[in-house]
Amino acid sequence: MAAVTTMLSRSPGRHHLLLMPAVLLVLALCAVAAPFVVGEGLLRLSSEILLIFAMAQMWNLLSGYAGLLSIGHQVFVGAGAYGMFALSIHAGVNPYVAIAFAPFVSGLLAALVAPILFRLRDAYFTIGMWVFSEIVTILVGKSNWLGGQNGLTLSALRDMDPDWISPISFWWAAFAAIGSLVLLAGLMRSRLGLALLAVRDNDVAASSLGIDVWRSRFIAFVISAAGTGLCGAIYFLGPAHILPAAGFDPNWVVIMLFICVVGGLGTIEGPIVGTIVYFGLRQAFATSGNWYLILMGSVAVVVMLVARKGLWGTLHARYGISLIPIRREPPSDKTFGI
Amino acid sequence: MTIVLQAEGLAKSYGRIVVVDDLSFEVARGECLGVIGPNGAGKTSLFNVLDGGVRADRGKIILNGEDVTHLPRHKRSHKGIARAYQVPQPFPDLTVFENVLVAASFAGRLHGHAAESAAWEVIHRVGLQERIRDLAGGLRLLDRKRLEVAKALAARPQLLLLDEVAGGLTEAEVNVLVDLVKSLKPDFGIIWIEHVAHALAATADRLMALHFGRKLIEGTPDAVLGSREVREIYLGIVDDAAA
Ligand SMILES: Nc1ncnc2c1ncn2[C@@H]1O[C@H](COP(=O)(O)OP(=O)(O)O)[C@@H](O)[C@H]1O
Ligand SMILES: [Mg+2]
Repeated sequence: MAAVTTMLSRSPGRHHLLLMPAVLLVLALCAVAAPFVVGEGLLRLSSEILLIFAMAQMWNLLSGYAGLLSIGHQVFVGAGAYGMFALSIHAGVNPYVAIAFAPFVSGLLAALVAPILFRLRDAYFTIGMWVFSEIVTILVGKSNWLGGQNGLTLSALRDMDPDWISPISFWWAAFAAIGSLVLLAGLMRSRLGLALLAVRDNDVAASSLGIDVWRSRFIAFVISAAGTGLCGAIYFLGPAHILPAAGFDPNWVVIMLFICVVGGLGTIEGPIVGTIVYFGLRQAFATSGNWYLILMGSVAVVVMLVARKGLWGTLHARYGISLIPIRREPPSDKTFGI
Repeated sequence: MTIVLQAEGLAKSYGRIVVVDDLSFEVARGECLGVIGPNGAGKTSLFNVLDGGVRADRGKIILNGEDVTHLPRHKRSHKGIARAYQVPQPFPDLTVFENVLVAASFAGRLHGHAAESAAWEVIHRVGLQERIRDLAGGLRLLDRKRLEVAKALAARPQLLLLDEVAGGLTEAEVNVLVDLVKSLKPDFGIIWIEHVAHALAATADRLMALHFGRKLIEGTPDAVLGSREVREIYLGIVDDAAA
């Protein structure tokens, strides 16, 4: 065990530079092939799992890495989905293509509201996000252009081959999931990632050391919102219908939060574990009605009590295991002739 | 001598409490200005005003001839002000190496290998090499103070602000720090706050004594420590403590 641990944690970056693209390539090939191998039902479930995972990862970016706890992230799910629907319905853009614009809609929304929300600190930001989400929900519900309380229907999809809807949704979902992993791993190894980690840990020290705290948080916020919006748009492609209560459902953020807290906030691997736990529980207990929600709550509480850093976070802290290492290793003493 | 910092008529109040009161002074490159004064004299507040943590109500801060009075803290850091806080401010979930790398990358404006080797060198210079992979949150006090100094150095400053970096350390540990600061002096201007005046006497070229935010006296260490004003405030404290 110790040997494995050492190997996993201490392996030099070069090793992983080759490993990561190889793993990603295999994942991508599996994703391309899956719709031809897997049945319709499983394909839909897989899409959902991948999307929820990607959303959790986006929430993780903001809350785990940028230190901004959001309980209003459903606003970006809805914004991305509504953006895609509106583009298709009002501008005649092909829905599959309109998905690509969804991140710009939710990202723009985030960029516009950031100057206001960023005036709020800590818990006030958290509550502010929730209030903002409620306001957007109400406004969308009152907007005729967005279908009001009746929502919008993606009628363009009716003219398209129904056999392709699930596969294309799945490919988009796989793109979002793999993309979220690559994005987070890349970001956290970048200069911006280092700035974010510093800001999360101590914003006073960060600004003292030349980091523009506001700008770092802003970038993370917009990226997180854009990614979440992309997932929202892909998710609602399948149902081809959206209501304010579904797009802006607070349950979205509850699931993201559950996955990150259980798996390990502020680790890239944590949401993988959290997603497995979430869907495992859901599939096992979905028929038992409200008990399933109580069980979810209990699992989250137990994990928070016995493993405060989440399942993966605790393993990582105790054994130093890391699948996607983002720690910056000091140059070896040999490099400097000591 | 090149003047690194000119402070002109700096003032800061919180409501009716004046914490920095019309302070003017200069620091040259290669010079160490020691700041002493009893608790609550406004020493830390002066650093807050200088590094941009709080805005001055009045006055001017000129760094290398450039007016930085209205720049936010991170931009003053780019211009060359670095600070070691009285209460260490580590990034607890980052390693010692990463902590110093942040300083070298953003304040020091270095990239890639240059940043890494700068961080590595500074960590060795302050004697933290054994802890280089440890999380900063788990360091003991001396190491946290060393890390605080390491970050300030890796920032490659023009002006180094040291706030009671010797506080809470043993005599031997203080000597290590004093030697370190002495070895750095030629490279930049230093302002060193120390509640205990003796630690400063050996290092500082000049001392400035503050009381209620105001400059009591400024001059050579001997002149300041021997002055009636300084003896009065320090003796005053001793009397209070004995009472
Ligand atoms: N943010 C603040 N709000 C109100 N009063 C403050 C604040 N910061 C410092 N003070 C007050 O300013 C005075 C000077 O404090 P400080 O600069 O920390 O003194 P020193 O570092 O010399 O011990 C103290 O009376 C302190 O209570
Ligand atoms: Mg102080």
